[in-house]
Amino acid sequence: MTQPERPLATDLRLAADRDLKGLILKHYLGAYRAKRPFSRRPVAWVTSGAPVEILLALGILPIYPENYGALVGSRKAAVPYCESAEQAGYSQDLCSYARTNIGSMLTGRGELAGRPLPRPDLLVAAKNICDVVVKWWEVTARHFDCPLFILDTPFAADGLTPDQVAYVRGQLEELVVVASKAVRRPAPPPAAFERDLLKVLDLTRQATGLWQEIQTLRQASPTPASALDMFTNLFPIVTLRGTQACVDYYRQVRDELAERVRRGVGAVPGERFRLLWDNIAIWYDFDLVRYLHARGAAFVGETYTDAWGIYQFSPEDEKDPLGAMARQYSLILLNIGLGTRKERLFNMLRAQRADGAVFHSCRSCKTYSLGQYELARAVRDELGLPVLVLEADMTDSRAYAAGPAMTRIDAFLELLTSKA
Amino acid sequence: MLERLVAAGADPLAHRPSDRPSLGYVCSYVPEEVILAAGFHPVRLGARPGPTGPADSLLQTFACSFARALLDGLLSGRAAGLSGVVFAYTCDSLRAAMEAWKVRAPAGSFIHFLNLPARLEGPGVDTYAASEVQRLADALAGVKGGRQVTAERLAEATRLVADLRRSLGRLDRVRSSRPDLLPGSVFIAVARGAQALERSEAARLLAALADEFEAAAARPSQPAGRPRLLVSGGYLETEQPLRLIEESGADIVADDLCLGWRRIAFAEDDEPNSLAELAARYLRRVPCAAKHPPDPRFDFVVRLADEHQVAGGVFLLQKFCDPHAFDYPALRDRLEATGRPTLLLEVEQGSVASGQARTRLEAFVERLRAGGGSS
Repeated sequence: MTQPERPLATDLRLAADRDLKGLILKHYLGAYRAKRPFSRRPVAWVTSGAPVEILLALGILPIYPENYGALVGSRKAAVPYCESAEQAGYSQDLCSYARTNIGSMLTGRGELAGRPLPRPDLLVAAKNICDVVVKWWEVTARHFDCPLFILDTPFAADGLTPDQVAYVRGQLEELVVVASKAVRRPAPPPAAFERDLLKVLDLTRQATGLWQEIQTLRQASPTPASALDMFTNLFPIVTLRGTQACVDYYRQVRDELAERVRRGVGAVPGERFRLLWDNIAIWYDFDLVRYLHARGAAFVGETYTDAWGIYQFSPEDEKDPLGAMARQYSLILLNIGLGTRKERLFNMLRAQRADGAVFHSCRSCKTYSLGQYELARAVRDELGLPVLVLEADMTDSRAYAAGPAMTRIDAFLELLTSKA
Repeated sequence: MLERLVAAGADPLAHRPSDRPSLGYVCSYVPEEVILAAGFHPVRLGARPGPTGPADSLLQTFACSFARALLDGLLSGRAAGLSGVVFAYTCDSLRAAMEAWKVRAPAGSFIHFLNLPARLEGPGVDTYAASEVQRLADALAGVKGGRQVTAERLAEATRLVADLRRSLGRLDRVRSSRPDLLPGSVFIAVARGAQALERSEAARLLAALADEFEAAAARPSQPAGRPRLLVSGGYLETEQPLRLIEESGADIVADDLCLGWRRIAFAEDDEPNSLAELAARYLRRVPCAAKHPPDPRFDFVVRLADEHQVAGGVFLLQKFCDPHAFDYPALRDRLEATGRPTLLLEVEQGSVASGQARTRLEAFVERLRAGGGSS
């Protein structure tokens, strides 16, 4: 990938970012420590839509290969791992998170001080984000000869039928048993497990509540946080959801952003345009966002980061926590119909007062990307907002041409200017 | 007989019966039995081979080429004259094609999504699958020209479909024993026709065809000495990839294809008595790569290779088909561990690019002729 010369904005970093680095380090060090001899903490590799609260209530440490893929991508280091997977027969057309992880797994090399992710005791994949993770986790299970649990969440196009909820709920009950067995522990007594689960769900509820508050604060003009802050600060809500550390961190971020709003400090100096981002970040090219920042275009929302605010467990759910989880984990962004996605997108554009939308058509992520052409057309034709569709990939930079992307961004900026 | 079945497969919509409404369906997990019992003629919708047109403005080029071509056909008017289309949950690309069709279909079009589980085993799977098949039956009863799926109608439909499968099973054995008489490409064309022609007629023709081929196969013959191959992959829009393999000097004697033996070979021969039993039957069939767990399909492919004494395998990978692409390395290794070399070819828009593929195939066939095991 050749990078054209482009004037970029300097990031106005959040003070909380300093603690974030510590959180990330602690998380991964904790996972390696868990694999030391005599450690009693089992490790599960989970997908980003996995019902992690159950694992936490069972004392299992969840590790997120997708997050690891993002980490490798942001270090611009994914391509050699992808190539290793391709040499083993995995098509270059497959998800680059999967290829990055498979390459790391097969070669035994990695980006955490040269190490791959710590070996799993259990694998849990939820189909609610895509069918790819099911296949990817099958590959992983074969490699490690490790127990695998698939949470099958039927497509919730227009809501959920009672049969669907019952089916998913039954699997969550099964997960408690399967996970306990996989980590060689007796299944906990139901009452004790439910008590522990409710504690974790409450921590999830607090964290997602704060995450939503943060998104709401971004409605301010100028917006106190743009896409780079949010993509970077996504780590705890994805990987530490259900822990006190996650709640504490977002309280700090929320307070810092509230202070920025009070003082009228924007993430992008001279904010002229307010944009919304759709799909996963292009992890290896944050400069693309900085280029927009330099021209006064700030991101006031991302469907990707917003998606983590949906886990809103209420005290009402205490009557049937597994039923509530079955519903929540079935209704996540990538498991709902295009009509509902459009409705959420429009609501977000209006709430954040966006002037336009950037759609990252991500070659790796079909579930997210297919349907975007229709959504982009709807934003343009029904809301009259300029849209930009960028063809790229979240981690594999070989699928991305920065030059043409910049040309299209310039045209998009001109359109925004003409409409301003 | 053969010509009529092949012609129907090539142009299913032109071969619809005129005495009842026709209903399109996508995916071999949609139980034809239910569509028949509800009073419709089921038409398995494939995709137009060749470059896509209107679908390109709705689905990115990295969507599975079959899903794009399928949508393209629908947008180009292939569903006109059908009472509707039933999709099934298969994979993300086909789900997206269904979603796009929902937005673009003419107002009032009947579109049903059979929201089947991806898991084939585990608590609640059977009950959930049964509820979805029941929901399909209920929906069809409400479509113009549809009727209630009663036990008698279901029994009649399942008998008919079982007849079709039995005849295809007889033809499969001829394909294996005498590929010179019934080449694999023709077998698949016939199997495609059996999903297009009016089913009673298809059953009659298939039974007569099986009689004819079995009689011919009973006559002595000289072995052709061509390597025996197994092909594995998803849906094929045309038989071109199969013909290319045969033209390269090998015989296709067994398949793990969406249109072929994977769909036909059901685990049990007895007929289901209820929608719930029918749903369970589909869960127990040889699975598609999009279903979990994958091991039954892997075992099936290796068993097929042994049963049909194949010398090697060709993987026909639909471009951008994630489930098959993820399974490929493991399945390749399983087959090669039995001493059978394999070859991977990509299928896009219904065919494999013939120039380079032909050269690779000829080299592969030469290797098999020379008795080359796995490298």
